[in-house]
Amino acid sequence: MSKKDEEKNFQGGSRYILDDELAKIVNITMELEMPLLLKGEPGTGKTMLAHAIAESLRMPLIVLNVKSSMKLVEALYQYDTLTRLNDSRFGDSKRDVSRIEDYIKMGKIGQAFTADQRTVLLIDEIDKADTDFQDDMLDVLDQMEFDIIEVDKTIRAIHRPVIIITSNAKKDLSDPFLGRCNFHHIAFPDPKMMRRIIQVHFPNLSPDLMENAISAFYRLREIDTVEKKPATRELINWIRALQADPDFKEKQLAKGDVPYLGILFKKSQDYATAGNLTNRRKLF
Amino acid sequence: MFIEFFYKLKDAGIPVSPTSFLTLQKAMARGLILSIPDFYTAARAILVKSERYFDLYDQVFAHYFEGAEMPDIEGLELDDIARALLDEWLKNPKELANALGVDESVLKNLSPDELIDYFKERLKDQTERHDGGNKWIGTGGTSPVGHSGRHPEGLRVGGSSGNKSAVKVAGERRYKDYSRSGPLTQAMMGEALKRLRNMVPAGPRDQINIDASIYQTMKNAGEIEIVFDRDLRDRLKVILAIDNGGWSMDPYVAVVQTLFDYARSQFKDLKTYFFHNTIYDTVWEDASRYRKPLRIDELARKDPDTRLILVGDASMAPYELTARDGSIYVHERSGLASIERLQFLADTFPHNAWLNPVSDRMWSYTRSIQAISRIFPMFELSIDGLEQAVTHLMAA
Repeated sequence: MSKKDEEKNFQGGSRYILDDELAKIVNITMELEMPLLLKGEPGTGKTMLAHAIAESLRMPLIVLNVKSSMKLVEALYQYDTLTRLNDSRFGDSKRDVSRIEDYIKMGKIGQAFTADQRTVLLIDEIDKADTDFQDDMLDVLDQMEFDIIEVDKTIRAIHRPVIIITSNAKKDLSDPFLGRCNFHHIAFPDPKMMRRIIQVHFPNLSPDLMENAISAFYRLREIDTVEKKPATRELINWIRALQADPDFKEKQLAKGDVPYLGILFKKSQDYATAGNLTNRRKLF
Repeated sequence: MFIEFFYKLKDAGIPVSPTSFLTLQKAMARGLILSIPDFYTAARAILVKSERYFDLYDQVFAHYFEGAEMPDIEGLELDDIARALLDEWLKNPKELANALGVDESVLKNLSPDELIDYFKERLKDQTERHDGGNKWIGTGGTSPVGHSGRHPEGLRVGGSSGNKSAVKVAGERRYKDYSRSGPLTQAMMGEALKRLRNMVPAGPRDQINIDASIYQTMKNAGEIEIVFDRDLRDRLKVILAIDNGGWSMDPYVAVVQTLFDYARSQFKDLKTYFFHNTIYDTVWEDASRYRKPLRIDELARKDPDTRLILVGDASMAPYELTARDGSIYVHERSGLASIERLQFLADTFPHNAWLNPVSDRMWSYTRSIQAISRIFPMFELSIDGLEQAVTHLMAA
């Protein structure tokens, strides 16, 4: 590979630990100019990957957060009729009311298409939207163009964006959709990987604290009845809290005492369950 | 290139499409794939679109590139049972040798692999499930191997309950999810149940309806008029009746618990009742089915629009359904057969569904499941089944 190629290759961000497999997939996907669909449970760094790609390749990142009620056209462009109506009535703006183009605003996909450099387009949590949205969007991303019906204009992508699509694996996506993407499933990091992730975030963390915190974290994740298991994000915040507390001693964790449960468990039921379990351990 | 590999994947049951295969060729032509590990990663990302098939892909890949033995898909159940037999053997060689009617010392000389082969040979005598026969493995039969049989030295091969055969237990392993979260997590269940909603406008008019506002404003020739709407609220009533009795439901406690937990947090108007095996005159509000009984006639007074969801394995002796005094509890005998009671409930609440944690491939083997599924539309308690059930419940 030439030097120029290497610069274009993705090798992980400053705060993102990348496994080789995923790096390969990202690079091949970028080369093939196909969208990459990432699945995995929350907290496995799906969204972070897009941020890391943008950072490492020095491309701007455009995030489209999919909502359940979203229509495709919202992601492409918006025709601001209300403003135009307001302008035509009061006429106190610099916009030209007779020019509809002035009232067309680009949506996230539109922004990615019209940007003057290659961008990373992150389409987050695609599974929230309905199947039609997904299929129509893939059409747009396939053709790399869409029409603005109001002004009868076709917007073509100047640079093909790097497209990362995430899904929380809640619903299966349709076959035509899957057919147009490359796919990768990110497993929840194992303790070894987690140690590296924590290392990146806390370079000065004492090995003892890291070991104890990680083992306590995986122990808490094993509680079956918990509805929302703590993920990487929670662990990082939790370690931050442990560090900030001057009274905290590493021995506490080894004994099974877990302070700041509220950072790890966000649902009151989960909090109670986890609290009971850790307290019970203390009695023995 | 690798066309054979492509077909091997297809044969193994992975939905691979020719288009994606061409994409893979494109990647190779561009020199993006330079080694076998590259090929492994790239081909998986391009061809396999669900983590569910990752394990299968690994197997095919190992077979194609490393000559590993392909797992015998047909023989999967046999494999699993044979392995279970091996476990038993390790625990108690004498018992197993006796059960198989061979001398313990013969088996002792075999290596674990040979043992597995030997067990498989013996197991191949039976290719189908048999109930009550005296063939190899099945349930309630007189064969030595299998479980809950009547053979005095019968030994259990997997499974934890009466009417569940070793074949079934082994078959269930196929559904094992390869990710850590298990096949039916709360999040997945939540997503499936989310569509179970009946949104009705309620509360103050505080939501701007933009489309209507524009329309009205146009009608007023530009005089701006803003139209407000009410919030949409969920007005759905749900009755969840759970079979929590007996050990036939034990293997499913976790999945039913998940459903229950989720339903409790999701629906505002949710009533949960419990029953054992089937419904006679009463259901109970408390899980121990003792303190708070509720008569079916009272239950029937609820809004007929209520969605009735029954959860249970529907597996029981046929007489429990059809006999007038079929209940296994003496105090529950009122003279009406349970099947009439179920029919009555189904008529009272036209929006109903029965969720069965037993895999639907096994339904035809149990007579009571067939009988109940003629009354309530029955769905498997899996993601697919749950989605179908929700669609069915929401249909007008």
